[in-house]
Amino acid sequence: MESLDYIDSYFKGELDPSDVATFEQKIISDPAFAEQVATYLSMLQVAKEESDDNKKNKFRELYNQHKASPSTSTIKRMWPSIAVAALVAGIIFGLYVFVKPVSASQFADRYIREQLQTMSVSMGTQDSMQATINLYNQEKLLEALKGFQDILQKDPSNFQAAQNAGITSLRLQRYNEALDYFKQMEAHKELYSNSAIFYQAITLMKRNDPGDSQKAKALLQQIVHDNLSGKEFAQEWLKKM
Amino acid sequence: MGIGSSYNISDQEIIEQLRHSGIDKIKSEEQLFNRYVYFIREGMSKHSLTEDDAFDAYSDTLLSAIEKISNGTFEGRSSLKTYLYQIFHNKCVDLLRKKTTNKQSVHRAESISDKYEQMSDPAKTIIQQLIEKSDWDLLKKKLTELEEKCRKLLMMWADSYADKEIALALAYKSADVVKTSRLRCLDKLRQLYKTY
Repeated sequence: MESLDYIDSYFKGELDPSDVATFEQKIISDPAFAEQVATYLSMLQVAKEESDDNKKNKFRELYNQHKASPSTSTIKRMWPSIAVAALVAGIIFGLYVFVKPVSASQFADRYIREQLQTMSVSMGTQDSMQATINLYNQEKLLEALKGFQDILQKDPSNFQAAQNAGITSLRLQRYNEALDYFKQMEAHKELYSNSAIFYQAITLMKRNDPGDSQKAKALLQQIVHDNLSGKEFAQEWLKKM
Repeated sequence: MGIGSSYNISDQEIIEQLRHSGIDKIKSEEQLFNRYVYFIREGMSKHSLTEDDAFDAYSDTLLSAIEKISNGTFEGRSSLKTYLYQIFHNKCVDLLRKKTTNKQSVHRAESISDKYEQMSDPAKTIIQQLIEKSDWDLLKKKLTELEEKCRKLLMMWADSYADKEIALALAYKSADVVKTSRLRCLDKLRQLYKTY
């Protein structure tokens, strides 16, 4: 703690010029101290990245809102871009016709690998939920699933617990259980954003039993048609499936 | 926040709010995002980026600009729009060049280097070499294991909020308590990282 206080004072510009020189000399002469300074900066870096990730998530929400209700002035300003984008999109679509289709299972694999490896904790989340999310983030999936199930048992209306239990079941390849949890989520009609249908589609794409691919496709079409959560992914996948 | 509300205040007001931190800073970040959100479409049309990539380029542009406006590096010699567009254009080009590499590196490279820019060259070189050896994934994972309040405190600190502002935002008794808590959180994170 003492060394952290000292390092913190240096980077906050609170040291006298003579103390600054001593600090920098210590970095050169004391490898353990240099290591502590580097760790301090690395911790600052990851905290900044975490903060930036949160902001990007907020930006994503704003962007989704924007796409749902673009203002007239925005449309006017964007019109030339829209025309060009439409042309580009047309060309890209044309190219897709000639490329080999990618399987639904591959999309699901990629999504799970890139989007569902960790869960974030939102403000106001209760301790048991946070502790269980931590288990998930440590890849202790069976323990995490048990934790989410316990929370859900105490509070069957807990949307986040149902969603997290579903995602954990999906990661554990317990597809039927995952589908049950994602269907439970559907009951929460009051929520602005509910990914229940999207997660069901991913589970079906991943399970890949006979008929699953068609069912998943129908769900993805529903997502696009009703402008539901996951629309961007659904549009992208539908083009290539 | 409504989409149209970003047009109610001027660029200069947004810049002032970003410079003065506080709760208004968060609001002005959102206003800034909404004001120039059409850049995303331009990224798609002019640079042939996918929507996701154009979104990433725009988000990274804002993160970079917000940092520079907050710490006073942005001097206002050009209009905010011109300034943002220049960064956005560069990010799009970077993305196209680094398509096969980790996109996060676009932003990471410029984050903490200015913190040790002030150091004497020999000390700077040592720190630079040690930082390059950091296990970023592990450190990030350990950050998520901290208590939520601790994590939020560290994120605000990394975002250059003053201890006094953090005290107000996270309901600490004083700036001194924030400093003590911040050092404890850092110590905890360091222990988690080093004992792994």
